[in-house]
Amino acid sequence: MEKRSNPRLEARPGEQIDRSQVVEFEFEGRAVPAFQGDTIASALYAGGQRVFSRSFKYHRPRGLLCCSGNCPNCLVTVDDEPNVRSCVRQVDTGMKVESQNAWPSLRFDVFSFLDRMHWLMPVGFYYKALHRPKALWLLARQLIRRVGGLGSIDVDADHDQHYSSRNSHADVVVVGGGPAGMAAAQAAAAEGASVVLIDDQPTLGGHLRYNGQTIPDPVDGESRTAAEVVYSMAEAVSRATNVEVLHGSTAFGLYQDRLVAVLSSTGVVRIRAGQVVLATGVQETPLLFENNDLPGVMLSSAARRLMALYAIRPGSRAVIATETVEGYQVALDLLDANVEVAAVVDSSDDSPGEPAAALRERGVAILNGHQVVRAVGRGRVKAAVVAPVEGAGSGSAQRIRCDLLCMSGSAQPVDALLHQMGSSQGGVSLAGQVSGANGVSEIVDHGNEAGRSAASTSTAASGSYARGEEGLATAIRLPAGGGERTYVCYCEDVSAHDVEQAIDEGFADVQTLKRYTTVTMGPCQGKMCGRTLASMCAARNGSSAGTGDSYTTFRPPYQPVTLAALAGRERMPFKRTSVDRVHRVLGARMVESGPWLRPHSYGSPADECVAVRERVGIIDVGTLGKLEVLGSDAGQLLDRLYTHRFSDLPIGRIRYGLMTSDNGVIMDDGTVARLGTERYFVTTTSGNADVIEEWFNWWNAGAANCAHVVNVTAAYGAVNVAGPRARETLAKLTDIDLSPRAFRYMRSAQGQVAGVPCLLLRIGFVGEAGWEVHFPAEYGEHVWHAIMDAGSEFDIAPFGLEAQRILRLEKGHVIVGQDTDAISTPMDVGSDWAVRFDKPDFIGRGGLAVAAERGLQQRLVGFVMPGTSFPEDGTPVLSGARPVGRVTSARLSPTLGRGFGLAYVPPYLAVEGEAIQVLVADRPVSARVTLDPVYDPEGLRLRS
Amino acid sequence: MSFLLNCPNCGERSVNEFRFGGEVVSRPSPDAGPDEWSSYFFMRPNLAGIQREWWNHRYGCRRWFYALRDTSSNAVQETFWPGQRPPATAG
Repeated sequence: MEKRSNPRLEARPGEQIDRSQVVEFEFEGRAVPAFQGDTIASALYAGGQRVFSRSFKYHRPRGLLCCSGNCPNCLVTVDDEPNVRSCVRQVDTGMKVESQNAWPSLRFDVFSFLDRMHWLMPVGFYYKALHRPKALWLLARQLIRRVGGLGSIDVDADHDQHYSSRNSHADVVVVGGGPAGMAAAQAAAAEGASVVLIDDQPTLGGHLRYNGQTIPDPVDGESRTAAEVVYSMAEAVSRATNVEVLHGSTAFGLYQDRLVAVLSSTGVVRIRAGQVVLATGVQETPLLFENNDLPGVMLSSAARRLMALYAIRPGSRAVIATETVEGYQVALDLLDANVEVAAVVDSSDDSPGEPAAALRERGVAILNGHQVVRAVGRGRVKAAVVAPVEGAGSGSAQRIRCDLLCMSGSAQPVDALLHQMGSSQGGVSLAGQVSGANGVSEIVDHGNEAGRSAASTSTAASGSYARGEEGLATAIRLPAGGGERTYVCYCEDVSAHDVEQAIDEGFADVQTLKRYTTVTMGPCQGKMCGRTLASMCAARNGSSAGTGDSYTTFRPPYQPVTLAALAGRERMPFKRTSVDRVHRVLGARMVESGPWLRPHSYGSPADECVAVRERVGIIDVGTLGKLEVLGSDAGQLLDRLYTHRFSDLPIGRIRYGLMTSDNGVIMDDGTVARLGTERYFVTTTSGNADVIEEWFNWWNAGAANCAHVVNVTAAYGAVNVAGPRARETLAKLTDIDLSPRAFRYMRSAQGQVAGVPCLLLRIGFVGEAGWEVHFPAEYGEHVWHAIMDAGSEFDIAPFGLEAQRILRLEKGHVIVGQDTDAISTPMDVGSDWAVRFDKPDFIGRGGLAVAAERGLQQRLVGFVMPGTSFPEDGTPVLSGARPVGRVTSARLSPTLGRGFGLAYVPPYLAVEGEAIQVLVADRPVSARVTLDPVYDPEGLRLRS
Repeated sequence: MSFLLNCPNCGERSVNEFRFGGEVVSRPSPDAGPDEWSSYFFMRPNLAGIQREWWNHRYGCRRWFYALRDTSSNAVQETFWPGQRPPATAG
């Protein structure tokens, strides 16, 4: 394997790399040496790599442009992860990095011929061309889809990256860890506020981290290196109490009422802030000239980052195109890094005094009133063509040899988060350069003030900030020539010429211009191109570009966020009953049932059915929703909410309760036991307890009555003991008289079972004599074991959900949600008897009256198969080869030895013995309708 | 949706803690005709503006209350218990 070299500048203060820790990773199959703290891009650049990717449309070679994670030029695939921004992803030993959008290699990309075909593919060409004949478009679409897109997802990859999300609160959230953000965080914390400081870099410092010059220390005004100033400021932040710093984390969204969405290395953090201070700084706008995307053309800040953070000499001979003082400073930094500066090309006629003098002293040519009109080179920049701003192209152009062309375009505020908020910007303030502050002292003062006032302002405070749009139209120097290879949008390869042409075609509004050209729609989401697009659009419209409509709409996310991070980790905890451990010791197969994990079976569901029918079985029904309804109006409340009547229920009796929504659709069912004059014990279906509690309280809200609903689901555990030997089993454990006369069907009693105070409900969901035993949840295992011991002489068997489903199906008992759906009424399932129209009103009365008027549309009936086969739940019922209904539940009946189930059929088929057809393995099989339960239709065993 | 809602019992909390109960509608009397019932079941004004609606603090005190919310901005003007008039509009 060819090994790459790793040359660096001499050690400098504030550098990010740890030269004592050598790390090696792989890029396109070759080993690349790096230092700990390097990014993938910095290590590659140090080793001489200049081309980092191929562009989206024309496959032009692209190099480092922003070096700060904003542009699309350095996207790579790392291991299985596509579209990683290599200029911010730190290296790790053994990383396998591959380039994207190039085949077979970055150096030689077959598709680069597309660059010469660009005249064939103007912006929006796929809207116009390739549509006739029709078949051509189908072909073209396939090709475009194959060629388009960046990176590819390996669907077979075993992703070991896991994200989890968390929620957090803070009095003040500061976004941006530069001098303003650090000052704001400290100032707010000093006022006693809890502060979260979010910074997307590995260390605090913002733009000072890569400033190679000396600056006045804001603390005492003394002149110090920027690195020293940053060090002492970051130290102070780390010493401050109440400040949590999220390093390497990006605030990608700011939502209503100050919810800050942050992507950290471990996942998404949602922080609700009392106040938000945006200290997000500024960034350079790329300049417009021909071939402004050649590798070697980069933002000045990118060159400064390479030098200061990674000790890399970015080139050997530089030309600097500038509109700001930044260009002069980068020139000084470059000289210090032993880079020859061929020229500083300043579009303005005046140079900033001090740095210009320093440069002239060091022999650097400054060309005022000039601009770069073209970069020259194949695959990397070899020269810059410079011409006067006035009268460009008049033959006065000169060519300056260079291998580095720095662009110092005017600064644009990084204020996307503010604009995401739309008009509801209350509680959000700006600090530092983003709001126009300049120079370290002013920036820090600004930050201090913003932090202090954020900490002392109540959340309702609001601030309204106009974007610094003055002079926007003139701030962008529009290209002189045709602009066919002058790129506005690096992500989608849209040139200035394309934008002009789109405007000519009528897309003169910035919003439609965006959609038509796709500028701002690539991975950078407008960070590099948004301002240029807005300026060009405004310039053409002759507007001042100061109005709010001059930009495209800002929407989250500010930075790309992987779907895995948004999905986070599944954090849905299961509920387990107090008997749960026993099930696992018994080796039960557990299944999800609503929020619960319940035993499906302990072995054979069929054997479990037999045990209940012939001996005695026990099932954990602690999952039942349990509500106590108390007070003098408790009975009235139940009368109102259930279709049945409960105010006349005698104490000690139980009645089946069916609950409908107000339009008559079945919501829930359960039993209601009256325990005292003003006390009812209500069970709901498993998993529905919370919803039913809400339903109770909803209808009770604001009513001037005395009825209270207490959810005791978690307080009580319960088991159902059922079967011919259930009575004998329980009798061993209690003094309560369980004899058929003393404890009849649908009666309740309270007493001790196995020494534990219990509530016994004699009900029969599974169709045998049985008792639901409710006990304080903490006694679950004790009660279970006591009953198992007592039943051992009768060969008691635990049974699970599946056996219970079969047993109840044999009795024709409905499970709400399984055998009912969003339109099932009590009449549909044959529960008319549980609806009391003689009550003046109840929830559902109006709906049921309407339904009764409409007449029965469907009816739930039983059916029996000729053999052991049975249809799947949910499959259609046929009559005369036409689908007329559907199966809701079907199983093999251990009692009958035949398949059977429940199905909705039209009323005319709801006749005993009627023939219907159901589908078994997609073939129709005849079945016979039965209106009675297939087991114990008279209920003799149930009542025995 | 990320707005804050002021539970009359617990104070200002994230909307994620609440269950939305829809517009406050008045229920027809039991002897109302099918048209009146149907419109109660299925028809809603669906206001763009300030609307009185039900909210339940599901992951908090679990109580139901009313909110006056601007459906076009999610700005919540008032929250109060059913049976009470909104403080701002009282009198």
